[in-house]
Amino acid sequence: MDIETILLIQQIMNGLVNGMTYVLIATGLTLVFGVLHIINFAHGEFYMLGAFFTFFASKLLGLDYVTAGILATVAVASLGIVANRFFFWPLRREHEFTLLLSSLGLALLLTNGGELIFGADPKYISSPFADGIVAMGPMILTQQRILIFGVGALMLLLLYFFIQKTTMGKMMRATAQDAEGAALTGVDIRRVYTVTFVLACGLAALAGALVGPTAMIYPTVGSWAVLKGFIVVVLGGLGSIVGALIGGLTLGVVEALVGGYISLGFAQAVGFAIIIVVLLWRPNGLFGVARRAG
Amino acid sequence: MTMSRFTVPALIVVAVVLPLATGNTYLHHLLVLWMLFSLLALSLNIIIGYIGELSFGHAAFFGIGAYTTAILGMHFGLPGIFGLFVAAAMAGLFGLVIGYASLRIEGPQFAILTLGFGSIIYTTTNYWVDVTRGPMGISNIAPLGVGGFFEFTTAIEYYYLALFLVAGFGYCCHALMQSRTGRSFIAVRENASLAASLGINVFRTKLLAFVVATAVAGVAGAIFAPYLTVVTPEVMSLHYMVAIIIMVIVGGRGTIAGPILGALIYVGILELLRATGPLRMVIFAGLMTLSVIYLPGGLISILKRKIHIGGGVTDQPPKPEAKQ
Amino acid sequence: MTSLSVNTLTKKFGGLTAVSDVDFEIGPGEILGIIGPNGAGKTTLFNMLAGSMEPTSGTVYFRGENITGLRADEVARRGVARTFQITSLFPSLSALDNVRSATYRTKRTGWIASMFRTAAYRAEEDEVNRDAMDALDFCELAHHAHYNAQELSYGEQRRLEIAIALASKPALLLLDEPAAGMNPEEGQRLVGMIRNIRDRGTSVLLVEHHMRVVMGVCDRVVVLDHGVKIAEGAPTEVANDPEVIRVYLGREAVSA
Repeated sequence: MDIETILLIQQIMNGLVNGMTYVLIATGLTLVFGVLHIINFAHGEFYMLGAFFTFFASKLLGLDYVTAGILATVAVASLGIVANRFFFWPLRREHEFTLLLSSLGLALLLTNGGELIFGADPKYISSPFADGIVAMGPMILTQQRILIFGVGALMLLLLYFFIQKTTMGKMMRATAQDAEGAALTGVDIRRVYTVTFVLACGLAALAGALVGPTAMIYPTVGSWAVLKGFIVVVLGGLGSIVGALIGGLTLGVVEALVGGYISLGFAQAVGFAIIIVVLLWRPNGLFGVARRAG
Repeated sequence: MTMSRFTVPALIVVAVVLPLATGNTYLHHLLVLWMLFSLLALSLNIIIGYIGELSFGHAAFFGIGAYTTAILGMHFGLPGIFGLFVAAAMAGLFGLVIGYASLRIEGPQFAILTLGFGSIIYTTTNYWVDVTRGPMGISNIAPLGVGGFFEFTTAIEYYYLALFLVAGFGYCCHALMQSRTGRSFIAVRENASLAASLGINVFRTKLLAFVVATAVAGVAGAIFAPYLTVVTPEVMSLHYMVAIIIMVIVGGRGTIAGPILGALIYVGILELLRATGPLRMVIFAGLMTLSVIYLPGGLISILKRKIHIGGGVTDQPPKPEAKQ
Repeated sequence: MTSLSVNTLTKKFGGLTAVSDVDFEIGPGEILGIIGPNGAGKTTLFNMLAGSMEPTSGTVYFRGENITGLRADEVARRGVARTFQITSLFPSLSALDNVRSATYRTKRTGWIASMFRTAAYRAEEDEVNRDAMDALDFCELAHHAHYNAQELSYGEQRRLEIAIALASKPALLLLDEPAAGMNPEEGQRLVGMIRNIRDRGTSVLLVEHHMRVVMGVCDRVVVLDHGVKIAEGAPTEVANDPEVIRVYLGREAVSA
């Protein structure tokens, strides 16, 4: 293989790993929208919290990376209960703009609170997998990046079975289709809200814990995460988990290629360029279904 | 309490006298910011409040207006007050193209699409160094002048210019809500398919609203740049995008007084909270969230329970709750 | 001149033909009913006439003008008003504002005229209010003018829908199952209203499930089954048509 081809494949592999991060972030976002019809602007903050909780659990409690990551994910998932209780559940019958602003308030609260408590300077999470190299022919990936991809794929699979096979999953699907109808047939809407937020926040936190060791973490990283999430979710279709998977991987690969061959600066904007093209072609995204009237 | 016919004139008199009550130039600066943000928020309110779509890209049009006057001044000498018209046309033109592309889409997708267009304009401004001077921005922007007779230099002068435009545009919004055009805006917001069945071209109505809103945002930017004498891409950043939305919704969407009050609250509260140091943004976010939770119709709804201010979003009784 | 003329109108969804080669005409001041069992293609036909669905083939002429495939607002601007199967109002506006919005079609002055309070603007706003109150009066809703639409009872909301349609001063009114969910008393009131609308010179096309309403008010009835017109004629003729009886057999008695 010539060097050009190797470089291209390497770029695509890096893109797929970044893309899996986007998938993890976007899945929670799309779940909250699909089931509860909420656009959660604070979603990226749970990614940020996942990374910082991992950092502090290993630093202050002396836990190893894996335990710290799991602990952080569980902790942030529980925070999802609190967030839902105070910022979303009470507003469920208000106009969508009200809910959006409430989530924006939560996002500002968490970013600025994070800056206050964690400090604005960037931090590194140390992971035993960060420096281990896996060579696949001429291409290389760190063990950490393989971990990101593997855990991401596993989580999606688990989520898929949860939604398809469990009673709770069925309730969530019923709520997604028609919340009032679901309530009338005995679905506990309040529990659906709670579980959806726990899953969404947990997934975002897990993404933070996984990606943390590959990049610096700082308290304002949440707005980056939520913007990526939005691009992926709109690209794939609001509320579609398959869409989030395809959309996330696509975005990761395209960004890697644009960054590698054109300019790193424009790689940030290319996602928006893609959704503009896709939405003009398919207003509901690649895998979206038409929005319910009313 | 009913809104007397003297309320609005009285408020305008207060606004005219306000800067004379203090010699503090910093307070004058805050007053200018308040008025410019009021104009910006009133323009976004046409989109959020009247046609009921959420646009995240509004700061981009503010930026386009600001850069238009800055670049005109840099390359073609002093454009004078006519620069405002060029800025309005430029921002409106961008609004026409972006609106034409995106207004066939609605709801969350439209919001994200405008976020996308806004971000692309922001990124382009950052990287197109030849024209915009990139992240450094353009400085030493000449003051607004009226054909050599008069130049706007002090904060008070800019305040009166902005106040005049806010009052004028506020009146235009008021007139809009009492016109056939305004009724078609509200009809589109409330029920687009019913509006179409009455002969209203939904897409054209939304596009008209979007272009007017973006052109006015351009005017606000065209005053903002010469007032500060400097403009950087940051005026189009996520920070500003979100700030304008906060002003409109926290103040009260669909009303005229709401966005003006929202801008006052935004500028005023952030200023008052300076004393709290690092806690400033945390407290601000907390207050904002509380206000949204307890006053979903905006701060203006405290007053609106008793008085009705032009064509606003009426307080809706809660929908019947799903049984649990 | 005929009001509406429908010629070989057809709508296919993939391989499924929802409406097949349907022809009929509505004369001026005529009330035409379209009936048929569920899935007969009534709603598809209605949507094609109202401009919310494009026909696969065939033509629709309104007062001699070809309106086939026009958008809903274009059809409306030519003087065709419609109601919706599921109640469709401006819920958070007052009943009066609902109807005022509906005067859009027949008025001309806009934003600029309102800014300068021109004489034309003031004259037209007076007209808007008069037309709106007229429409509310006609539908016996004048006493509820300042109630929010969502505060009205179900029957009142359905009457408000008709008031909205009438305020646009249509030459042809399309009613999509107006009696759905109404009790017999409300249904009777509706029949009276439809007659009064015709007496004002408006043609009416009525897609309806309730036989009592159709038989009581229509001059002529078109029967659809599986997208095909199987009968057309005066209500009594159609009710005795063996084909129609066969189609309705075991469902809803024609004379019900």
